[in-house]
Amino acid sequence: MNLNIKANKNNTFDAIVVGSGMSGGFAAKELTERGLKVLMIERGHEIKHIEDYDTAMKEPWDFEHRGKTTNLSAEERWANSRFWGLGSEEVVNHLTNDKENPYIEKRAFDWIRAYHTGGKSMHWGRQSYRWGKHDFEANAKEGIGIDWPIRYEDLEPWYTHVEKFVGISGQKEGLEVLPDGHFLPAMPLFAPEAHFKNKMMERFNRPVTVGRVANLTQPQDIHTSLGRASCQYRSKCQRGCPYGAYYSSLSGSIPAAMRTNRLSVLHDSIVAEIIYDEQKKRASGVRIINQNTMLTEEYFAKIIFLNAGSINTAALMLNSKSNRFQNGFGNESDQIGRNLMDHQLGSGATASIEGFEDDYVYGQRPNAMYIPRFRNWGNDKQTAYLRGFGYQGGASREGWESGINADGFGANFKQSLTKPGPWSIRIGGFGEILPNPNNRIYLDSEKKDKWGIPMIVTDAAFVENDWAMRKDIIASAVEMLETAGFKNVTPYDRPTHMGLGIHDMGTARMGRDPKTSVLNSFNQVHDCKNVFVTDGAAMTSASCVNPSITYMALTARAADFAVKALKKKDL
Amino acid sequence: MKRREVIKNVALMLGGAFSAPTLKAMDNWENATKPNRNGIAFSLTETQQRIVAEIAELIIPKTNTPGAKDVGVPAFIEMMLKDCYKTPEHQSFIEGLDSMEKVKFLELNTDEKRGVLKLLEQETKKITSKTTPFWRLIKELTLLGYFTSEEGLKASFDYVQIPGKLELIKLKPNQKAYAY
Ligand SMILES: Cc1cc2nc3c(=O)[nH]c(=O)nc-3n(C[C@H](O)[C@H](O)[C@H](O)COP(=O)(O)OP(=O)(O)OC[C@H]3O[C@@H](n4cnc5c(N)ncnc54)[C@H](O)[C@@H]3O)c2cc1C
Ligand code: SF4
Repeated sequence: MNLNIKANKNNTFDAIVVGSGMSGGFAAKELTERGLKVLMIERGHEIKHIEDYDTAMKEPWDFEHRGKTTNLSAEERWANSRFWGLGSEEVVNHLTNDKENPYIEKRAFDWIRAYHTGGKSMHWGRQSYRWGKHDFEANAKEGIGIDWPIRYEDLEPWYTHVEKFVGISGQKEGLEVLPDGHFLPAMPLFAPEAHFKNKMMERFNRPVTVGRVANLTQPQDIHTSLGRASCQYRSKCQRGCPYGAYYSSLSGSIPAAMRTNRLSVLHDSIVAEIIYDEQKKRASGVRIINQNTMLTEEYFAKIIFLNAGSINTAALMLNSKSNRFQNGFGNESDQIGRNLMDHQLGSGATASIEGFEDDYVYGQRPNAMYIPRFRNWGNDKQTAYLRGFGYQGGASREGWESGINADGFGANFKQSLTKPGPWSIRIGGFGEILPNPNNRIYLDSEKKDKWGIPMIVTDAAFVENDWAMRKDIIASAVEMLETAGFKNVTPYDRPTHMGLGIHDMGTARMGRDPKTSVLNSFNQVHDCKNVFVTDGAAMTSASCVNPSITYMALTARAADFAVKALKKKDL
Repeated sequence: MKRREVIKNVALMLGGAFSAPTLKAMDNWENATKPNRNGIAFSLTETQQRIVAEIAELIIPKTNTPGAKDVGVPAFIEMMLKDCYKTPEHQSFIEGLDSMEKVKFLELNTDEKRGVLKLLEQETKKITSKTTPFWRLIKELTLLGYFTSEEGLKASFDYVQIPGKLELIKLKPNQKAYAY
């Protein structure tokens, strides 16, 4: 898959895609399938689908530290290990070594990174929800940030297009707040969850549904033709799936692009700069630095898609200075790097559940239960904050771990831990964060990384709206679990920063006015139309649902537009 | 030593050992340490290792299935403390072992040992310090080491490597938990 191209003419393609993650993979697929010769450039090392999932088939006892985070991992992955489980030896080597790739936290930001083929699509939780109409309209209605230049209807066909390819299991519910998509059969709710669902409807008129998740419950031809098979319910997805049963760029978009024979991939190549042609007034290509050899090379194309992840995309644009763009590429508006958003995470409640003693489950569900937004929705009006949150969580039977805090030891104790323990439940909120120009990343004016590229500074934090919402996330979680009749309801509130939601976005937002936004309604840089940004950087607001299928839908829509424009010689 | 006396002694020592690091414990700590690859030093003396093994086996004794010692839990505990825990937990662990040494834990009979652990369990509940106390550490590591070891896991649970399906089921009488 790796190309080593020397001659200039061989360094020329129809399109360059920067980044091989969730959005870059999709860009490569859409562009190659429409006939373009594409070069995808990835800063990290190559990971081969299946072959390189080195921990996927390991048994629990094969892990020396049985899945715990070692001091060494915590030191090397000082940012990544802030997220639950990402420091574990089951996955840690597939996450970026933060010590070797440091960033500066002016204000602390939990930046979770995976620099390798597939990016974070290899590790994602696969929760996939369409945005609703209200998500595209809220900024304009409330006078927050700027208005989106598109509406739900613009994206709707592209959601369907993405969902069919990705394969999303879910239950149609007919809710305006959480539009239905094109679904594979839903996974079941467990008995106490079904009880919870009924109680919530009965008591609050609040719907609860099973998570919509990118795991193949019933693969279609579009999936099996890429070698993807049905989910085996081991729920060890984050290690990489040997069956290709969950969607990632590795299992889906990259193989689809490869089979067109029009995709070339460069690994270990950090895109450091976009090259701007002052005469032609367009971007002509990119300059890369090989992360191992430090050698610099240039690649050229008619169009460039930036999909390095919202923070890296913004950093790359800020680092690309020319006569025309002295303040960073396409940064006339000074909005690049600003309006950094995420979803707040880490608060909710837990409870123990009495009863359901003979209900049990065979297999592990790689999914959860979902409670769609109910705040500032319909007749509900909150005075303390704008927007809302959804909950993810679920019930499970406790295992031997319950013995750690319980009294007892010895033969009977040992025997008791071999039986399924009592049920317990946890729900945690994902809250919408508003665009705020003071929440941002920028480049340090002096400090450089080991490749001589200016270091990224994070400077963002929750504001009043977030804290007020957080209080309600906790209070409402407690209220709902108590109403369901569960016991020992306990709120939790983990000290956290922005970033922990791993939904960083907004750093090169779409908008109608080049004075206040970076991209137009087809994700083109206002001032340089042959450059497209279709990762999270493009987002004008954040909604409260997981964003990846929205990035993919925006990407597919922009790719379709770009190829049509190229054919009409508009680009 | 009579059981009553043992327990009185343990209570006294636990009170001292857990409220603040005693000088003795600190000495012990410094003598018993050497640097490891994480730059954090931790190791146990032979006596301490024997105490750890005894306690682990009392938590998960050999029955008709293997016990903690059979599956290598004692060495696992020491390795885990070294690789995954930091100085405050190391200190807390060493202090706990120190009080066990003081009550001559290894010389007690099984009943007396169980009595000491019961007391330890109760006393641990009174500790408010943020550092994980000795009893919690040794219990958590014993259970982790045992239930995730090949022999311990297979003897305790119904091990399913690849479920292949997801099904809501009714539990049969005496059914073991699944492990994956
Ligand atoms: C544990 C976890 C759980 C998650 N759960 C969910 C979920 O349930 N639902 C959901 O929607 N989302 C989830 N996400 C988020 C999801 O993974 C991201 O939204 C998505 O991967 C973003 O896609 P991207 O293309 O913008 O970035 P990425 O997937 O991160 O890809 C960016 C790629 O660009 C490369 N790159 C960066 N800089 C450069 C450069 N200068 N030159 C060349 N290449 C570069 C990177 O190495 C990387 O491969 C989760 C993420 C994690 C880690
Ligand atoms: S739960 Fe399904 S998707 Fe996840 S690793 Fe197992 S088989 Fe693959």
